[in-house]
Amino acid sequence: MLTLTWLRGLLARRAGRLSITAIGVALAVGLLATLGSFLSASKAQMTDRALKSVSVDWQVETQPGADPQAVLTSLESTPGIKAAVPVGYGDTKSFETTTGATVQTTGAGVIVGYAGDYRSVFPNQIRDLAGATTGVLLFQQTAANLHAAPGDQVTVTMAGLPPVTIKIDGVIDLPEIDAMFQKVGAPPQSQRSAPPDNVILVPLDQWHRLFDPLAINHPELVSTQVHVDLVTSLPHDPAAAYSKIVGDAHNLELKLTGQVLVGNNLGAKLAKARSDSLYAQILFLFLGTPGAVLAGMLTVTVAASGADRRRREQALLRTRGANSRQLLSLGLSEAIAVGVAGSILGLGLALLVGRAAFGTAGFGATNAAAVTWAAFAVGAGLTIAAFAIAVPAWRDARDISVVAARQTIGRRREPRWQRLWIDVILICASLLVFWLTGRNGYKLVLAVEGVTTISVNYWAFLAPALMWLGVGMFTSRIASFVLRRGRRPLAWLIKPMSAGLSDTVAASMSRQRRLIARGVTLVALTAGFAVSTSVFNSTYQQQAEVDAVLSNGADVTVIESPGASIPPNVITELSAIQGVRKVSPLMHRFAYVGNDLQDIYGVNPTTIVSDAKLQDSYFQGGSATSLMTKLAHRPDAALFSFETVKDFQLAPGDTVTLRLQSGTTKQYVQVPFTYTGVVKKFPSAPSDSFVIGNADYIAKMTGIDHVGTYLIATAHGDSTAVAGRVQTAVGTNALVNDVASKRRKIGSSLTSVEMAGLTKVELGFALTLAAAAAGLVLWLGLNERRRTFATAAALGAKRRQLGGFVWSEAIYVTVGGLVTGAAGGWVLTNILVKILTGVFDPPPTTLAVPWAYLALVAAVTVAAVVIAASSAIRSTRRPAVQLLRDI
Amino acid sequence: MSNSSTDLLVRCDRVARTYGSGPSAVVAVHDATCQVHPGDRIALMGPSGSGKTTLLHLIAGLDDPTVGSISWPALGDRHSLRPGPLAIVFQSPSLLPPLDVVENVALPMLLLGTDRKTATNAAHEALARLDLDDLSSKLPEELSGGQAQRVAIARVLAGRPRLILADEPTGQLDHATGIRVIDVLIEAADELGAALIINTHDPLVANRLPQRWDMANGRLTILGGAKIC
Repeated sequence: MLTLTWLRGLLARRAGRLSITAIGVALAVGLLATLGSFLSASKAQMTDRALKSVSVDWQVETQPGADPQAVLTSLESTPGIKAAVPVGYGDTKSFETTTGATVQTTGAGVIVGYAGDYRSVFPNQIRDLAGATTGVLLFQQTAANLHAAPGDQVTVTMAGLPPVTIKIDGVIDLPEIDAMFQKVGAPPQSQRSAPPDNVILVPLDQWHRLFDPLAINHPELVSTQVHVDLVTSLPHDPAAAYSKIVGDAHNLELKLTGQVLVGNNLGAKLAKARSDSLYAQILFLFLGTPGAVLAGMLTVTVAASGADRRRREQALLRTRGANSRQLLSLGLSEAIAVGVAGSILGLGLALLVGRAAFGTAGFGATNAAAVTWAAFAVGAGLTIAAFAIAVPAWRDARDISVVAARQTIGRRREPRWQRLWIDVILICASLLVFWLTGRNGYKLVLAVEGVTTISVNYWAFLAPALMWLGVGMFTSRIASFVLRRGRRPLAWLIKPMSAGLSDTVAASMSRQRRLIARGVTLVALTAGFAVSTSVFNSTYQQQAEVDAVLSNGADVTVIESPGASIPPNVITELSAIQGVRKVSPLMHRFAYVGNDLQDIYGVNPTTIVSDAKLQDSYFQGGSATSLMTKLAHRPDAALFSFETVKDFQLAPGDTVTLRLQSGTTKQYVQVPFTYTGVVKKFPSAPSDSFVIGNADYIAKMTGIDHVGTYLIATAHGDSTAVAGRVQTAVGTNALVNDVASKRRKIGSSLTSVEMAGLTKVELGFALTLAAAAAGLVLWLGLNERRRTFATAAALGAKRRQLGGFVWSEAIYVTVGGLVTGAAGGWVLTNILVKILTGVFDPPPTTLAVPWAYLALVAAVTVAAVVIAASSAIRSTRRPAVQLLRDI
Repeated sequence: MSNSSTDLLVRCDRVARTYGSGPSAVVAVHDATCQVHPGDRIALMGPSGSGKTTLLHLIAGLDDPTVGSISWPALGDRHSLRPGPLAIVFQSPSLLPPLDVVENVALPMLLLGTDRKTATNAAHEALARLDLDDLSSKLPEELSGGQAQRVAIARVLAGRPRLILADEPTGQLDHATGIRVIDVLIEAADELGAALIINTHDPLVANRLPQRWDMANGRLTILGGAKIC
């Protein structure tokens, strides 16, 4: 009864303060529940994308001695398998074509036999480039190598059999060539370093005619597989989906013991997705937890500003006979009321934000996940409310001497943590953990070979967590120290605001340093949160863009079709297309490095860094600019991949002779290059080995300046629309790719996760927190001192003079908080980016700073402070006696 | 004491103060007419809620009358009263918590624009006169109620006002401390030659002063020794 009466009274007379406290709880609950939605939605999205990105779910290889037809029949009757299509693989010694007077011969190749329904069951496995879509299909790299086009004849040489000539019907690309030619059943480290360069696809019956004779004497050169399309009803969580699909594959191998090995393409995609989902979880922890903690701190601060009122009320209740237990139950009831109201508000907020940002109104992809996330968020909200209200009430009810300890003014010793230098110890410990994590290569997600589960190295979380705590406490120390020891310079600095009262104002601020330092710390932490979150998110977006550009080559890439020839004036034509900002040629050829056929790119070293947005992380042993400068200074300079450098034991300055096709004779000619540096990645280049050289030198040595690839930078970013216009212009002469489509295709990597939604939520939250921390904390602090201001006004202080007190404090809190927050945020961002290296592909060379957003945060913070300070000053307009009476 | 109008410190002419409006309106002061001259020692007596504090606030220029007029012929206009020729001692703690005793005492002078050194010297001097110099570096929270009230009187003394208003200055003090505070207040007024009005319901305090005004239900009655024009 007493509790109800008490709550009614609070609602009637303290509604404002209770509402603000409940809003603080709501912010924390809302953020946690929203991030829960993000996490759940992104996990489901990752699984979905993994499923969609796989062309062939399983490649089931028939083992020697097993009957391929029996395996096929068995697979067709296995539950969960939607379609099973036989595929043949046969190794050849070489392919050869004759063009005019010249003969082109390749190295070893593979002929794949495909069944009639293969293309309809696996539509994404083969991509048509030129000619017919059925019959004998030549892989585009082989076509380039052989200078072959639809209608040409290719002579195939097989071990121990006479050569066979086949007519090419079409030219194709194999987007999943790595998976298609995997060593089925071999662990990742035993897989071939690159797929075959020379591939021809033929109808299955034709393949049997070619390879059945070969299988008699050379069975090791012939193999058969069954490509499987699965019925995919998998759990939303990538880890659970992975476990299920791996289990199903093992079950099949057990059922057909000794007859088959399963190449689990879907399992491999889900394995990547599950580690990405763990990264999403880590992102949630790294980026979400500080926000929720800050919201909690803000709530505690708001509630603490009502502590004096609560103590007075407790004292009154005590004089009327209330015991400690009753006092505690009243505090608890207030906490529960605020916690429940805040939680309901927060969940509502999360539903709205979830719908707006992620397109989902639930807190999880499944009902169980939704209930868990909602319960977790509400639990956090109730805990914050308990810490904000019930715990202080319990402390006050238990020990009245706490009242003295809670005074914010006085000359008591500095807090124990300051005397023990806990903040500095935390920062040092953070740096130590950071260093230790760095020795491990910042590996957060640990996947142990042969184990289906993966784990997170939560130890690494300690570095940013300790740094965050340490920076917060260190800010408080600095803010406090400046107020205690720097009274004279402070008085000088605030003179413009407080004129003749500057010494008095400085003295007043010095004695209220705990209160003011608390404000500075909160502003610093929220500003730091805004800085670290926004810079991290911008850097993430920047790298996602870089990744997409790296895969595609540029915003839009034009690749000449095999056999086609784009006229030299195409640059002028492409430049005139609406939306095209710049067209840069990129020479693309093939060259033999020893016996290994590699892609070679001819560049203009003076423009390629900006044209192709080259990153320093693409290179080793120098920056993009420095290595391109070396290339510019030496025509025969070339950059090789690390594998090539290792395989051929190259040292800088070594001459490496490559074989490139002559433009005039079509024969391979020797071209000497000087090894100058290492390239790891290059726009549109394959992920394994390739070479970068000077375009002019390659043109001169091969006698042809044919380009092959054009990189287009768009003017306004709508790369898909520009690509459409470019495709119309070049017709069938070239393949046109755009970065947006490539980004969508990248698959289940984190780039595909709905980071845009998460970013919006976090940045919006950081902005709200910054404004609330600065404005609310200052307003509450000033509100607590209404009596002081009223007394000063009664003594005759003019509003301008009272303003000196208010503005000096406001500016100290704002400038101090923003400056230390920016510095702390910068340190934290660097640690976060390093630790979360795994989410960046490629790792960033520089951080991307969203200046506009940060300026907005600073502006909102300043605006909130101005409103709070003006409101405090405006309240002194009321007659002093009225104020004194009301307080 | 002269009766000329230039010496007149305060003139209240049929002053009334009403809080609220309509049926719930409360008339705190009703039709009060009075004057205060240099050297006056006035005890303003009356039960709680009789309107004493409201009248004192009207005289101090802290509040505006709803009817009638108040003027301060010898002190200046309302805006120049505080800090300056008029000073107030409040019943409740009126020292600014973040300032030490010297800074609190010097504050009114600093608000007037006096330079810091002069104001601090004057504050030390005022504290010394009241034997409070040993408290000069203390903070308000480190003072007892009596000490805090004596420091508030030192603050009045340092400003050298011509009219001192004290609103139940002993209301929160024990009897012995209260007597000491009143002694200090009267000594300070004597030393400055300032007029003094003490709002009290303690007859012992009232008996220390020669003039007496009584308040009952918002109505003012001027009693013994009063100078009525």
